[in-house]
Amino acid sequence: MENQRTVVDGLRLGMRALVYAVLGGAALLAVATVASVLGPMLALDLYTPPVAAWWTVFTAIAVQGVPFLLLGTVVSAAVGAFVPEKVFSRLLPRNQALAVPVAGAAGVVLPGCECASVPVAGSLMRRGVAPAAALAFLLSAPAINPVVLVATSVAFPGQPQMVLARLVASLATAVTMGWLWARFGREEWLRPPKRHTGPGASGLRAFTAGLQHDFLHAGGFLVLGAAAAATFNIAVPRSVLDLFTGSPWLSVLLLALLAVVLCVCSEADAFVAASLTGFSPTARLAFMVVGPMVDLKLIALQAGTFGRSFALRFSSVTWVVAVVSSVLVGWWVL
Amino acid sequence: MRRYGPAVLLLLTGAAILRISLFSELYLRYVQAGLRPYLVVSGFLLVLLAVAAAVVARPEQEPHAEQGRHTEHGEQAGRDQQREHGEHDESGEDSHAHDQHGGHHSPRVAWLLTLPALALLLFPPPALGSYSAEREAEQRAAQGVGAFPALPSGNPLELTLAEFGSRAIYDSGRSLAGRTVRLTGFVTRDGEGTWYVTRLLVACCAADATTSKVEIRGADAPPVDAWVTVTGTWHPKGELGTDGAWPPVLDAVSVRRITQPANPYEKR
Repeated sequence: MENQRTVVDGLRLGMRALVYAVLGGAALLAVATVASVLGPMLALDLYTPPVAAWWTVFTAIAVQGVPFLLLGTVVSAAVGAFVPEKVFSRLLPRNQALAVPVAGAAGVVLPGCECASVPVAGSLMRRGVAPAAALAFLLSAPAINPVVLVATSVAFPGQPQMVLARLVASLATAVTMGWLWARFGREEWLRPPKRHTGPGASGLRAFTAGLQHDFLHAGGFLVLGAAAAATFNIAVPRSVLDLFTGSPWLSVLLLALLAVVLCVCSEADAFVAASLTGFSPTARLAFMVVGPMVDLKLIALQAGTFGRSFALRFSSVTWVVAVVSSVLVGWWVL
Repeated sequence: MRRYGPAVLLLLTGAAILRISLFSELYLRYVQAGLRPYLVVSGFLLVLLAVAAAVVARPEQEPHAEQGRHTEHGEQAGRDQQREHGEHDESGEDSHAHDQHGGHHSPRVAWLLTLPALALLLFPPPALGSYSAEREAEQRAAQGVGAFPALPSGNPLELTLAEFGSRAIYDSGRSLAGRTVRLTGFVTRDGEGTWYVTRLLVACCAADATTSKVEIRGADAPPVDAWVTVTGTWHPKGELGTDGAWPPVLDAVSVRRITQPANPYEKR
């Protein structure tokens, strides 16, 4: 009796798999045929140089983001699955005002660009780290890690003060934002990232499940951000900038805005900043301080992880703080 | 099929990444060469995750067992079975509706990943060319006039456009004088009929591309976007380090059409 049932179940399963394979295969074949026949026809009309350039920039940002996003989600899933709840509260000072600068400085250890830091900050919050401290980490990690600082010194040869200015201004912005959140932030703005697994899950299971979900979720938003960035990249020629190089104040604001729409990865933005030779050093510093903290790709990622109302408020305030801090540091150091 | 969503998405993404990084050199159109190992590792990891997702998502072996449904993937499978058995179980649907985004279903936004993944698998977008080169501000390396280290030997000497440009504009030692050099890039033109050998410089990915170009004199212009190597000698012009020295000029001896190199960009 039991045996018969298993056999029937097995058969049913096999049939179902076969049906899926046939249906799926047929559908795929149909799609491929239509695409390969219609594709070239459509391509002739629609594949103009700007469209082709859009696709290239769009896929480039997505491809470039995938390894870093994966690194970030691996770290965040590992934190979620293997690090006990108590560890962080023991490592960080109890006092929030103190925890914020410590967490900000801890950003040094995550050698990635900004895509990696969002999921990590999310998992830190789930693990009981005060949001203010996790947010300071979120902002500082992509800006002050060794990889980025080395890239900056390579991009600005013979100008070590630029590296120092970037480090100081980024850290100042991150810590200020942490304190601002501790003082004025409201829990309801933040939709804390939910746990993805049942209460019974732990160890390797929880790790894979968390990794899958985090990567897919953040990946979707990465694609969204990449599309926005590619659109601006194609729609706004960089030569427009030459019109604004005259005024020092305008140029700081302009480069700070440019950093938001261009979404250049934090490991590469120093090279882009170095190539903007018409602008004052302070304006270029603002470009490098704002870029890793606020850009379209990041806003999309944050909206996905922490909720839209948080992302908009947080990013706009961060932008202002970052501009002020780079102007002050630029005036002092550069 | 819904329950295999995450697996399909991860597999597509992983396959796309592996196709451009492991099975071809297409990745060079999008990112700089140093990223390859990370791309390959990410690709394998994604495929592995896809397999794990498929294993977790497969239908329950014992569909009649009540226990185990509310732990882990059991919850997921339970919900799917309810869907398959029809929508009559209202209360069951409601109780599960709230964790729409918390279960093992892929979040809806994740389906956007299919866009770049399918593009890379089916029609990999081309490398940036003259269209972008003409729009981007020209790369003018921020450096002062000074003596450069001596050039290596070689006749003709292969140089990158960026190297040629910075030596032409900033080298007080005039190391280019009297040397025959060979430059590689694609053709761009301006309104007045001058043509340039142009190359885009990429530091991280194609989004940060900047342009460097060298004006070519003494040879007819090939069609725009054609790849060429130009052999010739430096034609000094303007005062070192000033706008008058831009763009650097090469007197061409020979121009040869080539196929697009594997890496269409220069590393910055």
